[in-house]
Amino acid sequence: MEVTLLIEAMDTSFRLMEDARRQAVDLLNTAVKLTSETRTVEEKNIQAIFTGAQESKSGFQNLVVTFLMLFAFWVLLSGKYDLFHLALGVICSLLIAYLTHDLLFANVRVGDARVIAWRFFAYIPWLLYQIITANIYVASVVLGPKQRVKPQIIRFKTKLESDISWVTLANSITLTPGTITMDIRDGEFFVHALDKKVADDLNAGEMEDRIAHVYMEADHIYVQDALDVAPIFGELKKGL
Amino acid sequence: MIQKSDDIIIKTLARILVPFIQIYALYVIMHGHYSPGGGFQGGVILAASLILLMITHGVKDTQKRISEKAVAIFSSSGVLIYAGIGVLCLVLFGNFLDYSTLAKILHVDPAHARSYGILGIEIGVGLAVMAVMFSVFFDISQGESSGEDKEN
Repeated sequence: MEVTLLIEAMDTSFRLMEDARRQAVDLLNTAVKLTSETRTVEEKNIQAIFTGAQESKSGFQNLVVTFLMLFAFWVLLSGKYDLFHLALGVICSLLIAYLTHDLLFANVRVGDARVIAWRFFAYIPWLLYQIITANIYVASVVLGPKQRVKPQIIRFKTKLESDISWVTLANSITLTPGTITMDIRDGEFFVHALDKKVADDLNAGEMEDRIAHVYMEADHIYVQDALDVAPIFGELKKGL
Repeated sequence: MIQKSDDIIIKTLARILVPFIQIYALYVIMHGHYSPGGGFQGGVILAASLILLMITHGVKDTQKRISEKAVAIFSSSGVLIYAGIGVLCLVLFGNFLDYSTLAKILHVDPAHARSYGILGIEIGVGLAVMAVMFSVFFDISQGESSGEDKEN
């Protein structure tokens, strides 16, 4: 009697364990499926960002934005607000916008233009502070009693991706005393630095990080990190 | 012969600056009768923007925007606008380029007719100067390579 009870209890517990195992496998399967679905969606998004951004945003929207910028510039220059001159401005801005709307926004990437503009203006004070401190440092190097000038050329691969951010970084480097951007070749910067400290400051990469932040270029790295988790789920599934 | 620039800094900055240079050129042309500038200066600035585009983005890319044929049409139509307004004044029993006679067909007072007339003249001058400047530069840049390779 007791033996049968024991066997029954063992049976039930085995069944329960089996159920639990099946449920766990189901759960993991769903998780893997969901992750891979998100992955394909994310991949599609990223692809759209890299390849289709120009097409999807192109044409009319570019034309309108270019027209508005050119017209604002015209009003600033003209200073005459009567109907005749404003109409002339509209005609001229439309003409130029039609002819050059593919120039101004040739390589638009991720990111909201308003956020980028706001971050860019927030970046300028930091750059000015950097220029002032570098000025003082370079003056101390040049005027100091010891000969400390050790010119060197450093090269580094940038993580920035669009041409506009490369140009911003290159011009920021050139504007900061002590360093001059000589060339950009395939995303590799060749920078002339006055001495070791200046070169080290540049290699620390704070300026690059800030520019990546301005143009919202570091953001997609986090997306990539999330996607890298998917293979781990795959491994877990195999282990069961 | 003009080669396409490899320098990404120059290319990018030129790409961003060209529309603003062009709108500035048109501003100089259109406000020639109020402020310094005028048809010739504006036309030169306009041509300079095209030349900047040509030395940064290469001849091919520029030709897609403004072909040699269009340049020829612009230069002759600029002269046509200039001479046309002048002759129109003659036809309306005034002197050559006597804009005040335009008041008869524009239905405005002579002072405004002069303003509009000189605006038309400046547009014509600007067009002609832009086209001729650009074609001179274009011809000089192409002349060197006439016997050699023509990939650009």
